[in-house]
Amino acid sequence: MAMSTAIIETDGLAKHFRRLWSGGLVRAVDGISLQVEPGAAFGLLGPNGSGKTTFVKLLLSVVHPTAGSSRLFGRDSRDPEARRPVGYLPENHRFPTYQTGFQMLDFYAALSGMPPEDRRRRAAELLEQVGLADWAGIRIGKYSKGMLQRLGLAQALMHRPPLLILDEPTDGVDPVGRRQIRDLLSELRRQGTTIFLNSHLLAEVETFCDQVAIIRAGRVAVAGKLADLTAGSGYHVSAAGVPEAARDRLQALAASIAATNGVVRFQFPDRAAANQGIDLLRESGAEIESVTSARSTLEDVFVRVVEGAQ
Amino acid sequence: MTTLALIQDTFRESFARKIFWGFLGCSTALILLFLLALNIDLVEGARAAVTIFGQEVNRGRLVEVDKMVRGILGGVAAFLFTAGLFLSIFAAAGLIPTVFEPGRIELLLSKPVTRSRLLVGRYLGVLGVIAANMLYLVLGVWLVLGAKTGIWNAGFLAAAGLAVFAFAVLLAVVLLVAVLSSSAVLATMVAYFFVLVSPLLAQHDRIAPLFRRPWARETVECLYYVFPKIYDLGNMSRLILQDRTFPGWMPLWSSALFGAVMLGAGLWAFSRKDY
Repeated sequence: MAMSTAIIETDGLAKHFRRLWSGGLVRAVDGISLQVEPGAAFGLLGPNGSGKTTFVKLLLSVVHPTAGSSRLFGRDSRDPEARRPVGYLPENHRFPTYQTGFQMLDFYAALSGMPPEDRRRRAAELLEQVGLADWAGIRIGKYSKGMLQRLGLAQALMHRPPLLILDEPTDGVDPVGRRQIRDLLSELRRQGTTIFLNSHLLAEVETFCDQVAIIRAGRVAVAGKLADLTAGSGYHVSAAGVPEAARDRLQALAASIAATNGVVRFQFPDRAAANQGIDLLRESGAEIESVTSARSTLEDVFVRVVEGAQ
Repeated sequence: MTTLALIQDTFRESFARKIFWGFLGCSTALILLFLLALNIDLVEGARAAVTIFGQEVNRGRLVEVDKMVRGILGGVAAFLFTAGLFLSIFAAAGLIPTVFEPGRIELLLSKPVTRSRLLVGRYLGVLGVIAANMLYLVLGVWLVLGAKTGIWNAGFLAAAGLAVFAFAVLLAVVLLVAVLSSSAVLATMVAYFFVLVSPLLAQHDRIAPLFRRPWARETVECLYYVFPKIYDLGNMSRLILQDRTFPGWMPLWSSALFGAVMLGAGLWAFSRKDY
């Protein structure tokens, strides 16, 4: 049997909660099977209450599965050693306010098994990197939400993990800080770190991730490469100076035609129709302004998936 | 290394919550009281004139030094087994459930540390905070009285050890209740219950015959043997201080067994819990 190279691998992972009084079953996660390959930037999306955070908690053994299994780096995720190469930033974290920024990094890195000298060096380096060097000796209770988020990210990076699991990493961060975090994550990706991003910010996922899964009611509704999911069918061609006669002939080839300020935008259903249309436009003396393949945004895909279920 | 980090973190939290400093302040005040206010003038070797804040004790008559030292040490030991234990449980109950706060526990559990180690680390940390303070008080009083009278009663150190042991047993109860309920208040109440019921159950041979039904008598006997014997441990420390023999080791080992079962149950419950 071939060994899987996946860094995260779940097989029919499920978590069901029983309601306290009625005894009814809530299927928070209902048989999710996913694979995340090394070096990927994987985005997990879903509406509120769809089971994203429970799924992440299952991966890290914070909650126990009702059924199925999950593996990190090929190890059963219930084995504490499976979590050693993982850096994690939880959603709605509450770091101990009695610790200073430096002490917090030192404490969690000690739990990850880093030697003291390495911890000291790395904490100073990361505090500098996330712009908190001047706050290193100040108690966390005094930090703003954005600063806590950056500190949390530094905490996740302390032991140089090859896998980062980030739950809403830019939550509460201002646009500049958000940019800094994105740049930092992009740099880590270039260095080969696998990033598993749980976020409700679709634009963020769209900019950063190359693979996504959208979960709905505890199940994977759609999963795959971002490029494939957002790929639409057909092509858009914009041209100026299109004669009326050519427009009539193009009507038969195009799925839709729209004119704005003298520029006509054609949507052709496939490549052959687009090429035929372009030939016709050239023959008629029209000037081609742009040719693009029709794509959906991630938001379009998300809304389609979520609304499709309703 | 991880256990040490957890212990160190508990100390840090106790410093920040002023619990450690509160205990230290009270202990220091008591030690200073003995150091500065208690004046002992040895007159006839084994007898002395004693003044507190310049006021004569025993109407100026000489007192037997050994008896007086035992009395003071007995008082301190009694304080440890009553007010000391109550204060310690109160402080400890605040330190345990904070670990289970949402947003904090997820991050701890995501680290490559077993759940049992996380909990034992916290348990040892809290025990360390309280034990350090108890031992500071005991050693301080012991050294001051020893230096002033020349009497070094080692039994007092054993009594302090018993007080720390009693606290360790009750802390296991706090831990179990905190894991199950995440409530500091409930954990405190349950631990106080065991302290308060202990002197009653210590009278089991007098109470049990008062019940008419055999099952009720057996229940009283059973509860006495199962529950931690805080009162008996306090009594044991008093007898040790007085150089008297005590009835047996049963209160010690049965309380240890109770504490071990509570700790084991706490670890088991923690290992199965979802956060």
